[in-house]
Order: sequence, then C-alpha cells, then structure tokens
Amino acid sequence: MRVLLDVNESFRIALSAIRANKARGVLTTLGIIIGIVAVITTMTAFNGMKNAFREGFSSIGSDVLYVSRMPWVIMNDFFLYRNRPPLELAEAERLELSLEGRAIVNPTMNTRRSIQFNAARMDGIPIIGTTEKQQAISSTVPQIGRFLMANDVRLRKRVAVIGVEIRDLLFSGANPINKKIRIGSYWYRVIGVMEKQGGTTFGGPNFDRQIYIPISSFVKSFGGARGTDVSIAVKAPSQEAVEDLEYELIGEMRKIRQLRPSEADNFTINKLDTLMGAFNQTMGIMILLGLIVTGIALFVGGIGVMNIMFVSVTERTREIGIRKAIGAKNFSILLQFLFESAIICLLGGMIGIVLATILTSVINANVMPASVSVPILAIAILLSLLVGVLAGFVPAYKGARLNPIEALRYE
Amino acid sequence: MSASIPKLDNTMASTLAIRDVVKTYTMGAETIHALRGVTLDIDRNEYVAIMGPSGSGKSTLMNVIGCLDVPTSGTYSLEGEMVADKTESELADIRNRLIGFVFQTFNLIPRANILHNVELPLIYGGVSRAERRRLAEQALVRVGLQDRMTHKPNELSGGQRQRVAIARALVFNPSILLADEPTGNLDSKTGDEIMRMFDELHSSGQTIIVVTHEDYIAQHALRTIFLKDGMIETDRRQAKIQGLGAAG
Repeated sequence: MRVLLDVNESFRIALSAIRANKARGVLTTLGIIIGIVAVITTMTAFNGMKNAFREGFSSIGSDVLYVSRMPWVIMNDFFLYRNRPPLELAEAERLELSLEGRAIVNPTMNTRRSIQFNAARMDGIPIIGTTEKQQAISSTVPQIGRFLMANDVRLRKRVAVIGVEIRDLLFSGANPINKKIRIGSYWYRVIGVMEKQGGTTFGGPNFDRQIYIPISSFVKSFGGARGTDVSIAVKAPSQEAVEDLEYELIGEMRKIRQLRPSEADNFTINKLDTLMGAFNQTMGIMILLGLIVTGIALFVGGIGVMNIMFVSVTERTREIGIRKAIGAKNFSILLQFLFESAIICLLGGMIGIVLATILTSVINANVMPASVSVPILAIAILLSLLVGVLAGFVPAYKGARLNPIEALRYE
Repeated sequence: MSASIPKLDNTMASTLAIRDVVKTYTMGAETIHALRGVTLDIDRNEYVAIMGPSGSGKSTLMNVIGCLDVPTSGTYSLEGEMVADKTESELADIRNRLIGFVFQTFNLIPRANILHNVELPLIYGGVSRAERRRLAEQALVRVGLQDRMTHKPNELSGGQRQRVAIARALVFNPSILLADEPTGNLDSKTGDEIMRMFDELHSSGQTIIVVTHEDYIAQHALRTIFLKDGMIETDRRQAKIQGLGAAG
C-alpha cells in the first residue's frame, strides 16, 4: 500500500520534472534513441533475412532428406569428401526398393547447359533430371501446362518443364507450351511452366531459372558420365519421422555400399537444417556486430542519462531536503529519481521505436521484406527501462543519502 | 507500519523531554560544540519561543527537536519515543507523524500545486487518496486557502505561501508545530497575520515551538528559552501581552 503510494508519487514527480525540462530530456535520450533504433533494426533485419532465406529454400522442404555425395555446406575439409564415389542411379533404385511404402524416393541429376529458342539464348541454365515424384517432394506446381509424368520418365520422352523466368526471358512472355527448345544439342518440347517461387535474396539457387526433364532422358542426353552426380531426395511420411528416417537412410546406404563398420560414411545426408545451421552461423556474426553497436550506443546513452540525473539531483537538493523533513524516507527519494531516469529512457525508447518503425518500412519497401514484431518491441522497451534503472541508480542513491539539514540549507 | 508511534496521549506529562543533550560537529580539524548540555521539558499545548544570537545553538536545538539530527550525547524523547536510538527510516516516520515544520523560506515544492504540497506528508505517511484529499482540504480551510488549491506556489504571495506551509505542517495533526523564523521573509503586516494564526492554533490546543531572534515574535509565546553558547541562559514564562493574542 505504502509502496504503491510511493510509486504513484514518484511517477508524478518524474513526469513533472521531465515536463519542466523538455528539451533537456529529449537531448539526453539521443543515445538511447540510437541504441533502440539499432537493436530494433538489427533484429528486424535478422528476422527479415531469416524469412527471405526460408522462403528461398521453401521448396526444399523440412521433411525431406537428401542423400548426396557432398555436404551442401563445406566449411573446410573439402579433401575429405573429394574422393568419395559418386552416387549412382542404381543405388537410388535399390534405396527406393528397400524403403518402399515408407518414404518417397526421388533421384535427381543436374548439369548446366545453354538453352535456345529461335534467336533467344541463355547460358549456364541448371538442367535437372527428375521423375514425376518431384511433385510429391516439392510443393510447387506448374502454373500452366503439366509436370512430368511416369510415362515421360519410362519412355524417356524429351519433354521439359521450365521455370517462370525462362519463360519470360526465352519466350518474352509468349505461351511456350509445345514449343521446342534446344537444351545443349538436344531438342526438348516444353510441356509446362512452374509457378513463381522467388526468394533468392540470400544465395539460394534460383528455382525460377531452371528446367526439369525426365531423369531417363537426362541420362540419355547428358550421360551418366562421371561427375554428373545423383542426388536422392527422400521425403518422410511426417515431420516426426524425419529423425528416424535419417538413421534408416544411413543404414540402408551403408548396406547398399557394403561399408564395413570401421569405414566412415562415404555419402552425406543433407537437410534444410544443415543450410539453416550455416545461415545461422553467418547471421550470428552479423547479429553480434549489431549488438555491439547497440551496446555501445546504449552505454553512451546510459552515461548521458546518468550525467543528467546527477544534474537533476543537484538541482533539486533543496526539494530533497523538504521532502525528507516532512517524512520522505531514503527509499522514497531513491524511487523518485529512479522513476525519472526510467521514464526519460522509456521516452527515448518510444522515440527509437517510432524511428525504427519508419526505417523498417523503408527497408521493407526497398531492400527486403521486414516488419517490426511484438517481441522485438517488448525487448526494446525492457532494454530502455533497464538502461534507465541502471543509469539512474547511482545519482538516485546519492540523492537519497543526502543529509536533510544540509539539503535544506542548499541554495 | 507506523502504528508503533503513539499518537497524542494525555496521560503523559511532557510531550518532549531533553536531558543533557550535547551536540558536537567536526569541521575539518575544528570541533564545534553546538550544544553543551541542554535539559528541557516542553508540555502539551505550550507555546515556546527559542531565542539566541547566531552561533548560540538554536538551529542545532531545532534540528534535534525536529528529529533532523540526533544528539551526540544525552537523551531526547518525543511522545515517549527515544529519538537517539532510531534509524534514519524511523526518524523519517517520526518527522512525518509528530513534527510539523514551518520554515523561513516556506519550502514548498515549486512544481506541485497547493493541494499536492499539503498532501505530501500524507503521501509519505501512506494515507489513502480519498482520506488524503479530505485532510488536505480541511487543513487548507483552516488557513483560509481553500479556493487556491489548484494554484502553484509561485502564483501566491509570501503570506499565502507561508499559510500553505502551515497547512502542510498541520495536516497530519502533529505533536509539535516547529517554526524556524516563520516571519523572516515576510513584511511586518503579513508577519503579524502569520503570528496571529499561530496564536489561534495555540488556543485550539496545538503545541508550538518558534525559533526566532525577533523579540516581538517571541512575545507571542508564553515561554521564552534563551540560548547562549550552546546552553540555556534563561527559561522564563510570561503572560500574554495584551492586544497580540485574541485577534480574528
């Protein structure tokens, strides 16, 4: 009850003190404002990048495991992987057989070729040999035409499903269905155009700029020559089964490759998490930098607030004396000044939030999708409050400890 | 809780009992003997003036009586409470409940309005909002400022400010009204008004201690204690001088 009254009174005093020195209050908060803008933009940018990344790799699917020769992300030790045998189509078939009914297995091969339609030509386009099961693994569907079907694969048809950017660039937006394009030195008939997938901001492959053809035709056209590696996508029946599936895959692959227990795996199970891990590691460094900037700004801001609070305490020495004479305890005085510095910092935090929101919408419009989220705002507010309390404590304590007689005598 | 502090209790003889109080300060290498053994009793509803030249120790005595300071040696009991043993926080409580200060320079909080200034002791005493408002208004009515409640101190004349200070001092119904040169910053006419208000408060039962160096202020009191060199030189009771008292 008494503490509540104290809080109420402290709040009232703090507000009137800040109102009496508006310009000073705002100037003082500059450091806090910069700090809060820094923390919000760092976190918002991080979230934006994370979302962009997720979006960019959404077609990979988090319930899909990829058996490949190499890990997707090789931090070092490239030589450890260099001598591994490539995955073969036959291995994919055996894997499919052993997992039958438990998971969807889709082998893919890929290469890069030049493509041509009339005079239009594009170089280095990823050509992906796959099967009709691609559709079960990736969520994307053709926007016009159809995807590959079992027959196309079985009969080694020279048909192609193209990405939306290829349609735009090669056909200038005209309807490409049933048109023949040259892939490398082979003619393929376009049977479908995939819907737009987008999200290539952060180094992911551009899914809108690739071509799917039947894997059987791929082998025939571009060969099972060495170096054209097979990657096997395996989709778990559910998200929960992914972990078990990974162990099972390792076991099956070791069986297929007849590895002895002493031998290490000569293949890798890749998954979205692997990429996320690498991404998070990179982002971690960026966040760290952002937080250092934030920390410095808030520290400097906090020192500014502390300085102003010392001024405020000194200015109001006599008031402290009066309050003590009529019964204020040290704690009440402490609370009064703590509130003042907390409110100054909160004010800075609020201004920072407004500025950061504006900045975020500019980023959103021009750089990448970004939006300020509630938890980030909550962190910003808590942070500014914390700085206020920490910065205000020493001056407030000094004020609270003043001797009432000397304080009353102060001119 | 403040329940441990006894309120007015008529069975006690002395409101205030000071025994052999010594107060010494060290200022650098120098030791200042501000009080050199003061013994003093003040009863309920006494009207006491404490006088003396500067350096006589009257300010120190006032600080001790007002519980702003504790004696170096000797004892001081106020309403039966031994002040010397108290912690800072307990002293704050005693000041809050038992002492009403009136200062020469009024000492109002400039940014707070009159009502809030008068409510302050009640806020620090933990009184609820509604009760606070009622008591503060009552005190302001007593000093005749009920229609200035929303004004800021700087919108009032010196005499009015001092009346606000008196209302603030009285709002918690203190044992002692302790005034330090209450008319020192006022012209003589306004000063007279303030002193007449003190006289009225005394007639209504308030114990009053006024620290002053002005004879005509001291003449309002019924007892004058004269300090010199940190000791009581004279302590005499006097009859009320005609024409000063029963005004209003």
